[in-house]
Amino acid sequence: MASAAIRRGAREVKPILSLDLDESRKRVLNLYKAWFRQLPYIVKQYDIPMNIEQCRSVLRQQFTNMIAYQDVRLMDMMVIKSQMELKEIVNMWKQKGHVMAYFAKDTVEPKPKDFLSKFLSGKD
Amino acid sequence: MMRITFAKVLQGAKISPKHLLIASRNQSGEVKKPEKIEVFIDNKSVMVEPGTTVLQAAAMVGVEIPRFCYHERLAVAGNCRMCLVEVEKSPKPVAACAMPVMKGWHIKTDSEMTKKAREGIMEFLLVNHPLDCPICDQGGECDLQDQSMAFGSDRSRFTDNDFSGKRAVEDKDIGPLIKTIMTRCIHCTRCIRFASEIAGVDDLGTTGRGNDMQVGTYIEKMFMSELSGNVIDLCPVGALTSKPYSFTARPWEIRKVDSIDVLDAVGSNIVVSTRTGEVMRIMPRVNEEINEEWLADKSRFSYDGLKRQRLVTPMIRDNKGELKPVDWEAALLTVAKVVKNAGSKIGAVAGGFADAEQLIAVKDLLNTLGSEALCTEHTFPLDGSGTDLRSSYLLNNRIAGAEEADVVLLVGTNPRFEAPLLNARLRKGWVHNELEVASIGPKVDLTYDHDHLGDDPQVLQQLINGQHEFSKKLRSAKKPLIIVGSETLERSDGAAILSAVQTLAASTSVENKDWKVLNVLHKIASQVAALDIGYTPGVDKIREGNLKVLFLLGADDGAIEKSDLPPDCFVIYQGHHGDHGASIADAILPGAAYTEKQATYVNTEGRAQQTLVAVSPPGRAREDWKIIRALSEIVGAKLPYDKLNEIRDRLEEVAPHLTRYGSAEGANYFKQAEQLAKKSKSQLDCTPIDVKVKELQDYFMTDSISRASPTMAKCVQAVLKQKQSKYCD
Repeated sequence: MASAAIRRGAREVKPILSLDLDESRKRVLNLYKAWFRQLPYIVKQYDIPMNIEQCRSVLRQQFTNMIAYQDVRLMDMMVIKSQMELKEIVNMWKQKGHVMAYFAKDTVEPKPKDFLSKFLSGKD
Repeated sequence: MMRITFAKVLQGAKISPKHLLIASRNQSGEVKKPEKIEVFIDNKSVMVEPGTTVLQAAAMVGVEIPRFCYHERLAVAGNCRMCLVEVEKSPKPVAACAMPVMKGWHIKTDSEMTKKAREGIMEFLLVNHPLDCPICDQGGECDLQDQSMAFGSDRSRFTDNDFSGKRAVEDKDIGPLIKTIMTRCIHCTRCIRFASEIAGVDDLGTTGRGNDMQVGTYIEKMFMSELSGNVIDLCPVGALTSKPYSFTARPWEIRKVDSIDVLDAVGSNIVVSTRTGEVMRIMPRVNEEINEEWLADKSRFSYDGLKRQRLVTPMIRDNKGELKPVDWEAALLTVAKVVKNAGSKIGAVAGGFADAEQLIAVKDLLNTLGSEALCTEHTFPLDGSGTDLRSSYLLNNRIAGAEEADVVLLVGTNPRFEAPLLNARLRKGWVHNELEVASIGPKVDLTYDHDHLGDDPQVLQQLINGQHEFSKKLRSAKKPLIIVGSETLERSDGAAILSAVQTLAASTSVENKDWKVLNVLHKIASQVAALDIGYTPGVDKIREGNLKVLFLLGADDGAIEKSDLPPDCFVIYQGHHGDHGASIADAILPGAAYTEKQATYVNTEGRAQQTLVAVSPPGRAREDWKIIRALSEIVGAKLPYDKLNEIRDRLEEVAPHLTRYGSAEGANYFKQAEQLAKKSKSQLDCTPIDVKVKELQDYFMTDSISRASPTMAKCVQAVLKQKQSKYCD
């Protein structure tokens, strides 16, 4: 039933950029390379407290997280969005905090809850 | 001020009209109440008692007449003329503060004539007042400023035609507490009246007349009073301001927090002014039952001691014998390990600043660990009923009750410096109420005349037997008071003294059942709460206990020394100042001072009151009960309260009055206490009764906060210097 739905969908949709999976794969690789090359400049220009190695591994992580998505239109859409992000970074339209949000998740420590940790941290 | 009573007037004593007014006012209460008379304030009818002044009558209907010199707790002077109001059919405006109302008077407080009179007075005052409001410390809380805005003219006619400048007066040096800028003085004479009537130090006065009049001390000398700071509050302009506070803050940028003073056992109500996390000044808050609107100098000015010598981080003594700063985790773990190993061989000594929450937390912790060695630093006789009956250790008749007394016997106490505000009450009774005071103990200046019965404890026995000439007075008195200093009860024969005093109190003939003769005056703020909670007075248990761990809860008076303890005893000091107790400690847990925590204190009357948080504790210091609570969790004997409300519920379980803030819980069973005390075998010995604090220089530095205060140190120096002066009597 699911395959029937896909077929029906595939019949009706127009392509966004790529016509087939090969083409969209190339686009993803190009995007990856563009990000990869930009990383040293990002670290320098935005003065983020990470080294390039760490950023690379985060970048790779971000891409491999998406490996499950093999739909051509979905891949194209994500590539376009990511390119926009990259452009904003390159043009310095973003600020340090925005960039940090990519690379370093949750920097806020959880508030102490029980009496002893409240006491030791001096927070009430 | 000399005491001029009505009786003396009848005998033909010379008297000024000022005194007559006081005398007649006081007398009016004793005579049968005459009929009320009707007067009209702005056409509003009000029934008043004869002798009421226009100003008081106006206040009854809610009309406040502007004034500078009038103050309800001082004698009427009537010299500023600001309170002039129109009285119908009177050709001239009358001074409302001094004029008693007559039947059927129509008083107009808002008429053209009144307004013109006020405007004129303001103009005259301002002609002789510098325009230095921008650099004046009174700016923003100045009566002259406020009233010139409300009642003054909107333009000035003052022109300095011959460029001679405004009136200028030389500043006086009256000590390290009060700054004088005498050019600003408007001659209201409030300070003079305060000094002579309430403080009982006739130092201030006026010289010259008219434009040349000056308020001062005649010869340059220090204003030697323990209540001197109150003239700063009384001064309606910026002539007398606080020296330590000068140029530090403005009233509109200050945050005010109501609190309680803990530097003596009176528990004066205070307002703590803070800015940028610092205490800027401390001022009194009105509480008719305790401090009226006055405050003692130590309570008012020792706040700079809260910034010095503070313990800001936990410390542990290392193997070289030095105290090294550590973080809380390390400190608590170290202490917990020692406490665990000690088992039940653990004790605690509560010092003068320990609050009820801390006391109960420590007691609960030690009791769960199996120890009962909880003591207070200051001792109290344990013979007879000991501290089981509250009436044996409270100031039973209350502070406000002291002014109604007719005969007072002071035993081994110097209330002038142990509780200056109680002494002010006694003086009030002496001035207005024909109070007779006698004292047993060292001969000291109490600011009022009193019979000195000597310093021999045997005098008490003579009084009981009726051999002494004073005993007749004491027995015939309708409202006698016996005030015993807690210091005297710390003597080796303290139990005998307490027993003697209890017998003496029982031998008086009091008609009123609510009048309580026996009163104990404590010197430190924590004592009553500690005894209420169930601490044992005195450190004997600690000395004998062969302890492995000792908690010092701000115990700085040196009751316990390192030599009193076994050599392997681990001493933990919990407190806020690096004083005596901290120097002998192996571990220091920094606590909060009274301005930094919400805590319960019980004053010498048994009145529970709470301090509020004005500033946060410095560095890593924590609220005291929380330290104990945290420690208990690490030790493995977790106390069942996490929040302030929860520990207060626990306090209520132990003693319900501890959380009834503001009300004094009375005590009774005097007879039973007396009978139990008679069983005691202790005998009065012959060593003369003495008190530690005899003169003003002894008063200023008595505890860890005031010892750390530079202002208090300056006061001591100034008094010693003044004592050497050839003008000093």
